[in-house]
Amino acid sequence: MRRKIAYPLATTLGMVASTLAVASPALAHGYVSSPPSRQALCAAGTVANCGAIQFEPQSVEAPKGSRQCNGGNANFTVLNDESKNWPAATVGGSVTFNWVLTARHRTATWEYFVDGTAVAAFDDNNAIPAASVSHTVDLSRFSGRKTVLAVWNIGDTAAAFYNCVDVNIGGSGSTAPTTAPTTAAPTKAPTSSPTTAPTTAPTKAPTAAPTGTTAPANGTAWAPGVSYKIGDVVTYEGVSYKCRQAHKAIRSWEPGIWTLALWLPL
Amino acid sequence: MKARHVAALLVASAPLLLGACGTAVEKEAAPAATVVQTQNVKNVSEITAGPAFNDTDVMFLQMLIDNQKQGQQMARIAANRATRPEIAELAEAVQVTQADEIKMMTNWLTEWGKPATLDERTSLHADHGGLPATSAKEIAALRTMKKAQFETAFLNLFLAHQHNAVEFAQLELDKGGNEQAKAFAERVKQSRSDQVQQMLKLLAG
Repeated sequence: MRRKIAYPLATTLGMVASTLAVASPALAHGYVSSPPSRQALCAAGTVANCGAIQFEPQSVEAPKGSRQCNGGNANFTVLNDESKNWPAATVGGSVTFNWVLTARHRTATWEYFVDGTAVAAFDDNNAIPAASVSHTVDLSRFSGRKTVLAVWNIGDTAAAFYNCVDVNIGGSGSTAPTTAPTTAAPTKAPTSSPTTAPTTAPTKAPTAAPTGTTAPANGTAWAPGVSYKIGDVVTYEGVSYKCRQAHKAIRSWEPGIWTLALWLPL
Repeated sequence: MKARHVAALLVASAPLLLGACGTAVEKEAAPAATVVQTQNVKNVSEITAGPAFNDTDVMFLQMLIDNQKQGQQMARIAANRATRPEIAELAEAVQVTQADEIKMMTNWLTEWGKPATLDERTSLHADHGGLPATSAKEIAALRTMKKAQFETAFLNLFLAHQHNAVEFAQLELDKGGNEQAKAFAERVKQSRSDQVQQMLKLLAG
């Protein structure tokens, strides 16, 4: 139903789609990092139990023309799941969407939809995008909780990349459930409505840093997630180590031969 | 043989460990087991790879060295220009750990009689027109852009950069032959995935 209209391309699209599905995740390319898209929330660990998407938020690739959060990509149906209560970022009437691009493809357009209606489009005229892309979109006619669908339409393939970004416009605190992006059939392939060039608008000023890391007691067992300062002492597999470079511990940064730059054996 | 066995178990259990992340990641995550014998090694540069390798092992190391040399430049800039101490600290920790990794990987390639540099920057996506995430132009722009824009620009660029490292590591895990290089690829995958988590939270913060 969704693809009824794209008939001349349907066969080609199907072929491309199956190729892409097989080859993932090596063909991953991009996603909206802030305000966080649903796949970014999964990759950040903010939303749990997302499945494979948490390792490859850049992979929500599907044929052009979908209005679903997963673009119709069957691997990532979790992104359409409204029961996950996706946290919404509080935003003003003008919102800057920042993209992470892991491969920079020639680009047709970048499109933004709210409730199935196009609210902004940026035409790249098939150029190769810069490594950091951001677009400022006017959402001032909306208020409260909305789900914005952000789509990157690739210029030299039949594919697009899909992101749903949950926002609370105006910070009204409304928690009314949002309507999911409609699944109404698109009437035609994404238009290349020329608009203003993508801006590189300044983004929000840095706010207070997240806290919440526990201070380690000296001589305790090493643990990921803990912020260590220079001079902190931990034990790991029966050996004591002193921290020589402040850092927040992550997996594979445990003290040992591979991480002598962080930990000095005592 | 034993090492191979352990590696297989590691790969099999990794999704479970990672699947349990979410907000409780700190508690659930386990460090990568060191699959290979490194008991009497006193320095990263003393870790050797062993004689058996294939083309993917070579490509993985060459691509990752190139990726990490760019990463060194980006991290150095961030350590100087970031406003929030968490970002500067992450950049510094990445810088020192990856400096050791570059030395180690270079030694492995020397051990195998292969060059440590790429003829040209390759991309897993080159076959269908994609450029890699980072170029010298973007790195240069980080040095000159306004401070108010810096953190967001750096984090988005470095997110893509570390996602690329995970892609290289996955290629090695799928097609590499050298056990040491594959064990290292698993560490790269874990550390970069966790750095991605930190950076996405810093972007949201």
